[in-house]
Amino acid sequence: MFGRKSGSGKRFQHNTAGYLFISPWLIGFLLLTLWPILQSLYLSFTEYSLLDSPVWVGTDNYSTITTSDRLFVKSLVVTFTFVLFAVPIKLLFSLLVAMLLNKNVKGMSIYRTLIYFPSLIGGSIAVAALWRNMFGLEGYINHILSWFGIQGIGWIANPDTALGTLILLNAWQFGSTMVIFLAGLKQIPKDLYESASVDGAGAFRKFYNITLPMLSPVMFFNLVLGIINAFQMFTSAFVITSGGPANSTYMYVLFLYEKAFRQYQMGYASALAWILLLIIGVFTLINFTVSKYWVHYEAEGGKSR
Amino acid sequence: MTEKQSSWKNHLLLIPFSLLMIYPVIWWIGASLKSQTELSLPTLWPDKFMWENYTNGWTYSSQYTFAKFFGNTLVMEFWNVLGGVLTAALVGYGFGRLNFRFRNFWFSVLLMTLMLPSQVTIVPQYILYTKLGLTDSYIPLILPHFFGGGAFFIFLVVQFIRGIPRELDEAAQIDGASVYGIFFRIIGPLIKPALYTVGIFTFLWSWDDFFAQLLYLSSVEKFTVGLGLRMFIDQFEVQWGQLLAMSLLSVVPSAVIFFLAQKHFVEGIATTGIKG
Amino acid sequence: MKKSSPLLKTLAVGALASVVVLSGCGSNKENAGSNASNGGSGSADKAVNLKIMWWGSDVRHEATQKALGLYTAANPKVTFTPEYTNWDGYWQKLPTLAASKTLPDIMQMDAAYIQGYVKRGLLADLSDIDLSGIVDEQVIENIKIDGKVYGIPLSYNGQGMVYDKVALEEAGITLPTNNWTWEDFFAYAEEARAKLPKDKYPIDDLRNIWEWYQFYQTSKGLGPIFKDGTTFNLDKDTWFEFNEKYAEFQKAGIVPPADLQLSSKENDPQTDTFGTGRVMLRGASVGSATAIEALLPGGRIAVNSYPIGEAGGGWAQSTIFFSVSEGSSNKAQAKEFIKWFISNEEAGKTLGTVRGIPINNDILQSIEGSLTAGEQLGIDLLNAAKPKALPFYPAPAGAEDFVSTYKSEMESVMFGQNSLEKVYETLVEKGKAAEAKLK
Repeated sequence: MFGRKSGSGKRFQHNTAGYLFISPWLIGFLLLTLWPILQSLYLSFTEYSLLDSPVWVGTDNYSTITTSDRLFVKSLVVTFTFVLFAVPIKLLFSLLVAMLLNKNVKGMSIYRTLIYFPSLIGGSIAVAALWRNMFGLEGYINHILSWFGIQGIGWIANPDTALGTLILLNAWQFGSTMVIFLAGLKQIPKDLYESASVDGAGAFRKFYNITLPMLSPVMFFNLVLGIINAFQMFTSAFVITSGGPANSTYMYVLFLYEKAFRQYQMGYASALAWILLLIIGVFTLINFTVSKYWVHYEAEGGKSR
Repeated sequence: MTEKQSSWKNHLLLIPFSLLMIYPVIWWIGASLKSQTELSLPTLWPDKFMWENYTNGWTYSSQYTFAKFFGNTLVMEFWNVLGGVLTAALVGYGFGRLNFRFRNFWFSVLLMTLMLPSQVTIVPQYILYTKLGLTDSYIPLILPHFFGGGAFFIFLVVQFIRGIPRELDEAAQIDGASVYGIFFRIIGPLIKPALYTVGIFTFLWSWDDFFAQLLYLSSVEKFTVGLGLRMFIDQFEVQWGQLLAMSLLSVVPSAVIFFLAQKHFVEGIATTGIKG
Repeated sequence: MKKSSPLLKTLAVGALASVVVLSGCGSNKENAGSNASNGGSGSADKAVNLKIMWWGSDVRHEATQKALGLYTAANPKVTFTPEYTNWDGYWQKLPTLAASKTLPDIMQMDAAYIQGYVKRGLLADLSDIDLSGIVDEQVIENIKIDGKVYGIPLSYNGQGMVYDKVALEEAGITLPTNNWTWEDFFAYAEEARAKLPKDKYPIDDLRNIWEWYQFYQTSKGLGPIFKDGTTFNLDKDTWFEFNEKYAEFQKAGIVPPADLQLSSKENDPQTDTFGTGRVMLRGASVGSATAIEALLPGGRIAVNSYPIGEAGGGWAQSTIFFSVSEGSSNKAQAKEFIKWFISNEEAGKTLGTVRGIPINNDILQSIEGSLTAGEQLGIDLLNAAKPKALPFYPAPAGAEDFVSTYKSEMESVMFGQNSLEKVYETLVEKGKAAEAKLK
């Protein structure tokens, strides 16, 4: 994943040091994480109600899911739609805002905090109430629309608009992505821009030649994690729409959660989880493969600017 | 374009944008002061301000006030952040800079742990901690942070480290620094903004991690704010005013922490590092 | 590079900290160990610690803990480790406890869930607790599962209707009467439509709630959708008749438009169609009476029975129980405690109506003088529901997929995205699949 050849050619093997540094994670993985993961893999081949012992059923769960579960297809369609829209919108939006907030303006800390605030409340249970209020029939959005003579609808109660509203909510909570961009932007040495100015480069050129390549490792991170998180989107679908109306926001992980904890079919849910892992894994692999062509690592020496 | 003009333009852009982002929070403040009956009205502010939503909410639980829950959560958060930052820095350096056997394999495994929905591992995990006799304690919530539970953060630090020019390490290497020396003297200080980011996200996300808290904490004296807030929600009835009031208070520590930390994670090496 | 020293310091502090954390972990383990040994003892006069778990609101938590204190004061050998959370959290946590084989000795149970736990042999048979003179025999008969008692009922519950009496009277609409028929119910809706302002509606559009249709089918004597908890029994003609009626109503504006209807969350002051004054009449359970009274306070609400058919209508039955874990080693003490819990007068006074209308009539009488408006509304609802009540038919454990499909498919019908014929086919398919699993 890191590319085998080092740019400088002076890379040493540091087996002891390497394992020493990753040991907190490695020990944790082997002792705390590995067993539950293996368990879930085993359970995906069983029928397991949580309430009694798992019963081995072979690949039954997988074949039921892929051949005859309508909800599997439905939730996949919903989730893919969500990923397709939510990821780019959020990335673009947070990059733009990060660049705006990267300026040296008086009171910037206050602006940053205000703009970050929506992301602070992301997991709060009050959010559901908030969004029902904003996007309800008599909510804020419809109030604004009425100034333009537009008759509003119940945005989260309508199967045509509910998913779109959740995508918007997701974009509104762009804070963490934005902060990571911001930290990345700050890491770019200022002298690069200064020397570019001396060479007479305009704002767009500077963005294209300096900002984008220098930011690319961080952007890659945001893209990979953005896709992983979007595929695993759960909380807002769970608290705000519960997957409805008419399953229009029935996200994959919500489906999985309901199978596990509402219908007590943990075996089936585990199979769903491993299918999702496979899907996300394929996307991540593609991402890493393609990244060779656009992500610029200082550490590897990289292509010259 | 003079300096002043551009600054004025920036404010013109930033003020309305901030207001747009913050509007729901203003609604939230208003709603937290409403009575149950007024909540159904579309108005922003109540006719009668129910300050008692805050006082009654604070003392809602018969045994403990929210002070206890806030205290519990902050203590837990302290360990979480400490563990999260330390692990991310160490492991991030290991993966990002050092070359060792099976590194790519282990890194793929690390990423894989991010891809499996936690909903299916949480029960086996709970069984594991039950067998260790660690339920009804903060250990199952804190321990993973010390042992690389935050794969997200490790990956983040890896990406930051890979953005740091290798010439710096090499220069130090020529001066006789070991890989450990490079970590402490060069990489460590340079990834400070990333580590602040890790710290604050650890703080924010474990504040919200309700399901794990629900499973692992059973006695009320150990309740976190998140669990305390659920007390306002019953099967048929939700104490909305008090819930909104207390949940608003519950984001205050996060907001304060963010406000204090944000200068650090944006004052990256651009001002302190390479130039010096 | 002087910057490194603070980082080093942090690291040193961190190393120390982990030691503290780990030693803290040791002491915790000890606690857990001593608890377990307490809970493990079996004989009746040895000191035992009972783990007890329930869901509910803070009033319930407080009163229950007081009652537990009373019991320990009278029986010093029995102490309790109480654990409580809200409804959602409870049903997330309980299966996890079952999976790790650490279910509490005593747990609160709900009629909608108890079957699933009984089916898996997790609950102890409590038939030998002598409840004569404490709980009505008919009540016990109603809650038996395969002829045995697995949960001791704590309170009465039932389903009636509530309506905004003030608004109906103002509009000059004929008020509903107890034991009205479905025809009366539909006629009321049509009459009220004509007399109400445009943005107010006589009734909700609950086509997506499977129980609502089931009420219609059972009242006609056709039995529940899963007969005997196993046989799929959706009556095609009745189902079409019912849903076509609602489709007609939707066109005529007698029920709210679909997006208003689906914005409604029951008992939520912001959106509940009844609570916000958009819908005049709806069903209500005794258990939710206090919440409903809080939506429209000041005596605006009057109660009525469900619409009935030749077999009756609505239901009245206990839905909250205390059950004992089959794996508990303190069953005898647990049973003794539960009996005390519903029969001791002092306990009854302490508990009041925190779990609804007390199942023990003597206790109910002793607290009747101090009821709140919401509690009184609950009693009125129960009285309206009781005379013609049918049994409570929860979805059998194993039919969850049918239930959620019912909801989403009917929602697509409400939005005109799907036809009744197609939905019926899907439902039959899902129903048959559930049936295969149930048998």
